[in-house]
Amino acid sequence: MSEVRFRNPGWAGNTGEFDLSEADVRGTEYVGERMLDGGHPSVAPSLPYMFVRKEPDAPLFEGPYRERFDKIRSRYPTARAALLPALNLAQELRGHISPETMDEVAGLLGLSDAYVRGVATFYTMYNKRPVGRFLIQVCTNISCNLCGADDVLAAFLEHTGTELGETSSDGNFTVVEAECLAACGFPTCVQINSRYFEDVSVDDVPAVLDRLKREVNKGF
Amino acid sequence: MLSECFGDPQARTVAGWKAVGGYEGIARALEIGREATIDDVKASGLRGRGGAGFPTGLKWSFMPKTSARPHYLLCNADESEPGTFKDREIIRWTPHQLIEGCLVGSWAIGASHCYIYLRGEFFESTNVLARALEEAYAEGLVGKDILGSGVDIDITLHVGAGAYICGEETGLMNSLEGRRGEPRIKPPFPAAVGAFGMPSTINNVETLAAAAHIARHGGEWYRQWGTEKSPGTKLFCVSGHVNKPGNYEFPLGFPLMELIEDVCGGIPGGHALKAVIPGGSSVPIMDAEDCRACTLCYEGVEAAGSMLGCASVIVMDETSDIVKQVRRMAHFYAHESCGQCTPCREGTTWATRILQRIEDGRGTEDDLDTLVEISEQMTGTTICVLSDSLAMPIISSIEKFREDYLALIRRGERVGAA
Repeated sequence: MSEVRFRNPGWAGNTGEFDLSEADVRGTEYVGERMLDGGHPSVAPSLPYMFVRKEPDAPLFEGPYRERFDKIRSRYPTARAALLPALNLAQELRGHISPETMDEVAGLLGLSDAYVRGVATFYTMYNKRPVGRFLIQVCTNISCNLCGADDVLAAFLEHTGTELGETSSDGNFTVVEAECLAACGFPTCVQINSRYFEDVSVDDVPAVLDRLKREVNKGF
Repeated sequence: MLSECFGDPQARTVAGWKAVGGYEGIARALEIGREATIDDVKASGLRGRGGAGFPTGLKWSFMPKTSARPHYLLCNADESEPGTFKDREIIRWTPHQLIEGCLVGSWAIGASHCYIYLRGEFFESTNVLARALEEAYAEGLVGKDILGSGVDIDITLHVGAGAYICGEETGLMNSLEGRRGEPRIKPPFPAAVGAFGMPSTINNVETLAAAAHIARHGGEWYRQWGTEKSPGTKLFCVSGHVNKPGNYEFPLGFPLMELIEDVCGGIPGGHALKAVIPGGSSVPIMDAEDCRACTLCYEGVEAAGSMLGCASVIVMDETSDIVKQVRRMAHFYAHESCGQCTPCREGTTWATRILQRIEDGRGTEDDLDTLVEISEQMTGTTICVLSDSLAMPIISSIEKFREDYLALIRRGERVGAA
């Protein structure tokens, strides 16, 4: 499927080897196309996408996003509980959560601006400023670190020509250091937008970046 | 048992899960009744798989029996303990195993709504679970009148936004309610005042998955594996310096060295074992000597001077730089401290700075005493155990690998490469 070696099945150690496709491992065929309106209300508060395309001026919320927002609200006994899913939704659309976005979400849920800022700044996954089309998060916590994660992080920075946390000049890549991504058996684990790339070695980095460049226009 | 279907894409579907006996557990639980279901789980001796090892049946029995208020089951899928990667495998390969477990737990505690709190990074596994949940709703397995029993149980997926502390049960409840994920003072305990102020129970993914099997086969059946104090099987997450890292399911009480040497194919490059962290980064580090006779059950690891935690075995060979790794852990805890309690907020940051200074070759021997002193002040003095979780690896590493620290302090020599 791709020239990026895909070695992680998680259970590989159990069997010694495996012959599953990347789609089998990721479950993409089973999942199919996720609906922008969130599908069944029980799953609407989950976050199915992190898009390549970001629209910082997109309205909060219209069309299918409005439907998803309403479904989210229906799943909790309080409006406040819809705050994290609503911020997730805003980030899915806009790519980051600016102070203005926080205030807008506060208005939608009837919460104070200050309260929402307090909550939004508590959580790492809300990008407080714009990021590249691909947000590359390299785990450097203990298990990955023992197996050379610092070198993998350095390789991503070198091949994208960026500094830690900065965005490359073509707007494609932002590379950051991440805490444990819960894929410790397959070091180094790198989360790129919504996907995990596991067992990434220094030598794999150029191929991973080439693949991403080809995917820029695909939109996922 | 838990991992039987890992790697089989067919098992992700309702049909595939039913083909291996899925949803028979909840059917039997509904038939035998709430109390009998709790009794089964009590008889099985199942202990919470999220790290603390609290008996699950007992936890369920704390829930009020006659309250008119809504009850909630919260499933903790905020897996983020460094070294742990078992829950993600359960979710992405066997989503219905978890859904069934949530139904059994909800039924037992009288909850009509269960929230699965997933960590925000799990986009792919969340999508698999979301698809499976939609399927389960369509098949009448979740929602109104499940399996024609007249019982209503809703399940909602809720995703976090990146905070280790939300894996702490009261931090998770605050986060679910749309607050900062700061842990709450106990008491009141969740069974009295939990999510949305209502009686709540929080269970780990692996715990609920095991409960589904116990509901199907009964409590005694589960005791055919494991030890008296640690019955059943467990997913062991092996990472670090081994030839075949991964998730391995074995009965509790499995010998640690056999896991490393035989199951995981030993250490690459023929290197010698230096240290093992047996339960995720929050437990004391063991040296090679401690490992020799250690068996992987709650009491076995305790006897070897550490804790089983969530059975995340991080293996470090002789090339490992203990000081660097402890500093990296300290950095993690400093980053993830919610900042409510002074000993944790300040202690994790001070410890990181001192460890960095030692690593840079600018440390003194007094620094080691200071680290131990700070760690002691970080133990048992805070709302949750995040600061204790850093204190343990610091104290144990200074105790067991003092020479590594001294080599840096006295001669500027780094021991190990990674």
